[in-house]
Amino acid sequence: MGQDTSFDLESILARLQNRREFLQLFGKGLGYGALATMLPACGGGSGGGSTSADDLPTTTPLGIKVPKPSAEYSVLKRTSFGVHRDEFASIKALGITDYLEGQLDYTLIDVSALEAEIATQFPLTLQTPAVLMQTFPDNIFEVATQMIAATQYRQMFSGRQLFEIMVEFWSDHFNIHLVNGLGPTLKPFDDQQVIREHALGNFKNLLHASAKSPAMLFYLDNFLSVSGNANENYARELMELHTLGVDGGYTETDIKEVARCFTGWTLRFPDDLSGPYGEFIFASVIHDDQEKTVLGNTIPAGGGQADGEQVLDTLASHPSTATFIATKLCRRFISDTPAQTTVEAVANAFTSSDGDIKETLRALFATSAFVDSVDQKFTRPSEYLAGLVRALAPDTGYPPDMGQTWFYAQNTLGQIPFYWPTPDGYPDEQSYWASTGGLLNRWRLSFLSLDIPSILNLGILDIDYLPMLAGADTLATVVDATVEAVLMRQLLSEHRDSILEWLKGYFNVTEDEVLAPGGPEFAAALIAAVLVSSLYFHLR
Amino acid sequence: MSTTNPIAAHPTLPGHDILVCIFQRGAADGLNALAPYGDPAYASHRPTIRVPDPAPANGVIDVDGFYALHPALDPLKSIYDAGDLALVHATGVPHQIRSHFSAQNLIERGVVDKNDPSTGWLGRHLALSPPASSSSFRAISISGNVPVALSGAVDPLAIDNLNDFGFDQGIIDSGYPQVLADLFDNPLPFSGPAGAALAAMEELQAADLASIVPENGAVYPANSALANKMQQAAQLIKSQLPVEVICVDSDGWDHHESLQFYIDQSLDELAKVMSAFYTDMGASMARITVLVYTEFGRRVAENGSAGTDHGTGSLAYLMGGGVNGGQVISSWPGLAPANLEYGEDLKITTDLRSVISELLNKRLGGTNVGTVFPGFSGVTDVNAFLS
Repeated sequence: MGQDTSFDLESILARLQNRREFLQLFGKGLGYGALATMLPACGGGSGGGSTSADDLPTTTPLGIKVPKPSAEYSVLKRTSFGVHRDEFASIKALGITDYLEGQLDYTLIDVSALEAEIATQFPLTLQTPAVLMQTFPDNIFEVATQMIAATQYRQMFSGRQLFEIMVEFWSDHFNIHLVNGLGPTLKPFDDQQVIREHALGNFKNLLHASAKSPAMLFYLDNFLSVSGNANENYARELMELHTLGVDGGYTETDIKEVARCFTGWTLRFPDDLSGPYGEFIFASVIHDDQEKTVLGNTIPAGGGQADGEQVLDTLASHPSTATFIATKLCRRFISDTPAQTTVEAVANAFTSSDGDIKETLRALFATSAFVDSVDQKFTRPSEYLAGLVRALAPDTGYPPDMGQTWFYAQNTLGQIPFYWPTPDGYPDEQSYWASTGGLLNRWRLSFLSLDIPSILNLGILDIDYLPMLAGADTLATVVDATVEAVLMRQLLSEHRDSILEWLKGYFNVTEDEVLAPGGPEFAAALIAAVLVSSLYFHLR
Repeated sequence: MSTTNPIAAHPTLPGHDILVCIFQRGAADGLNALAPYGDPAYASHRPTIRVPDPAPANGVIDVDGFYALHPALDPLKSIYDAGDLALVHATGVPHQIRSHFSAQNLIERGVVDKNDPSTGWLGRHLALSPPASSSSFRAISISGNVPVALSGAVDPLAIDNLNDFGFDQGIIDSGYPQVLADLFDNPLPFSGPAGAALAAMEELQAADLASIVPENGAVYPANSALANKMQQAAQLIKSQLPVEVICVDSDGWDHHESLQFYIDQSLDELAKVMSAFYTDMGASMARITVLVYTEFGRRVAENGSAGTDHGTGSLAYLMGGGVNGGQVISSWPGLAPANLEYGEDLKITTDLRSVISELLNKRLGGTNVGTVFPGFSGVTDVNAFLS
């Protein structure tokens, strides 16, 4: 780490040229045949950009007439990957404020068993770039599947649910496409040392760590940026996506100047004998050391690496950054169209705490908008899928097929972790996810055929319906018991009637007749599939 | 074009083309796709990455002594020569934005100011005229999400797996779709897309797209997301479902480094897919227009990483029987420093809104340009289409 003065310009330029050739051999799009076949069309970046900016067409919330869930349920639905019955009991016992404090104080929540399991099952996710390079590119598929599986595993089973929500939030905010050039050797380190390290820490530290993250330097091309002809890719996204926001008050000239400040921020490549592959280095010989002006501030000549550090400090404490981060957090936890006063309250906390993420979240959780905004969002696929496990099989282990079915499901629904191609991250607007295809694919995943009631019962998850039923043995009582156990919120009577009518036709019995042995469990499986397909389960 | 025209009976409104829009996400470079090699400044701006002057050995295809097609676009040459492909150079929407995400948003809305209407240009066009039928298939994006361009249309579909969109027959026979319809009943949130999904499922079940195979020897490239989507577009059109507008995305055009290497792959895929679609549709191309566009072009000069950063003017492709093809439509602005936008970008001399206005007027049954492109006062005919 740190400044490297051993380079001469010629050898650096030669190395950059080699780097391009290296990438052309193993690079973007090559060596990925297996994964490409496995992941035919995930996310696709399709119009992703077009839905992520603040100048989006806004959707008018429609009149909701489904009964509101309890406040505790609503908080869990927004601060975890789905309502787990044990946490539901816990938040009811502790009260919302103390529950959230416990989640913020996440280091006190013991996850050692879970992490030990991850270290055993998905060891590549904890490896350094140098180690991962030893078997690259043959290991691409294995790295990608382990990274995805470890992420799902934590979302499903970690007690640190709010922490995992923020890990996902920052993974999108500082998005890096894993399967991209050298990405598979670099992203695991970024996940551990940048995102997970700072997810509930301080934004300024997170920003500095991201700027020096080899995965980011690679993904946004800054590793190639040289004095005299800087590459603007990172500089632009740093201001547009990571800090100020597109309307945050910077100009095209600022982008060029910021790009100059970051020339020479690069990483060690495999042919570099001065240190391990994949570490951040500042290569002063390719740094533009002349004076720059960024957002009206002069950055004097001769600053070296300090140029970039100063830019990061300026951006982290800029008022536009506070507003931008606050807006995104409100969109995540409240609604797609948070009130200005709410955003301001959160932005003020961000500013006054100097970017402390916990303090910022505390302020958000304290707003009346957070308390009142029930059912204002449509869950994203990650919440939907982890939520299935958390609601239906909370005590099950990770699927014995090592998540292949989950992998397939997440691909179909379009949200494989670390697989969004463009730097804006997976969209958070509900209109993006609640499309015709998005809805039907969820319906299909929970209900493949009547003989095999759902993906939930393919042997992937061990769902035990009997304890949920608590002796219910007629269609009417089985519906009520299943709603209670799976939805944990009240169903409109007309919706209950519709489900019952359908079941009566299917079983050819009245709703009060005692079902034949085995009937209640089978009915419960069908009902569960309907319920997780319904609006009640998708809203949060 | 052959005289037999199987698409004449297609249930879209009489006299209308079916429009297929391919959006190149990431800001596609036009200067290495259709290279203005006759402009002496071209070579000096791009010493490392330029397309070489056309020569038999290098595969670069001379078009007219001034422009040359990148070798990877070779599959398009015969379509160009047949008069079914026009290329519009130095085009775009003058929104003065270089953020991918904001620019895609603006160009799909067909506006230059973020305070303009939030719906999409296609959505507003569709809202001007009643649909030909009650089918849910009037407007569809072959993707997981509805693109901004279609916003404003009534429940546009977004489906990325048309061949596999539906339920097992046993589930349908049990009456389960009705339970879903009840559970997403109007005015519950998302009753629109849910209802459209149920309707689309029923229509697709009858259309049996999986039985519709490529014709005329068309071969779509393997392992190509774009090929997969365009093949579905072809199936959909042939199925006789009354589709009017199909949107697909082509990803990965943001070539900040090693542009030569990456654009070769991207253009290769684009050209092979367009050519396969053209062959597959055969005589039906008489009533199909394909529009390929992007959010903005790339910087004229290369950067230090053998790539290009964000710029302004770019290239659009128009393909179909109704295209006034075999021509490059451009009032070339020149690449000498004094002629560049902001001193560094290709100027827009043909507003893409002019091209699209003409397309909608001549090929999609007419439109109201003031509604589709609010505030646009440019020309609405650049001689790109046949009447």
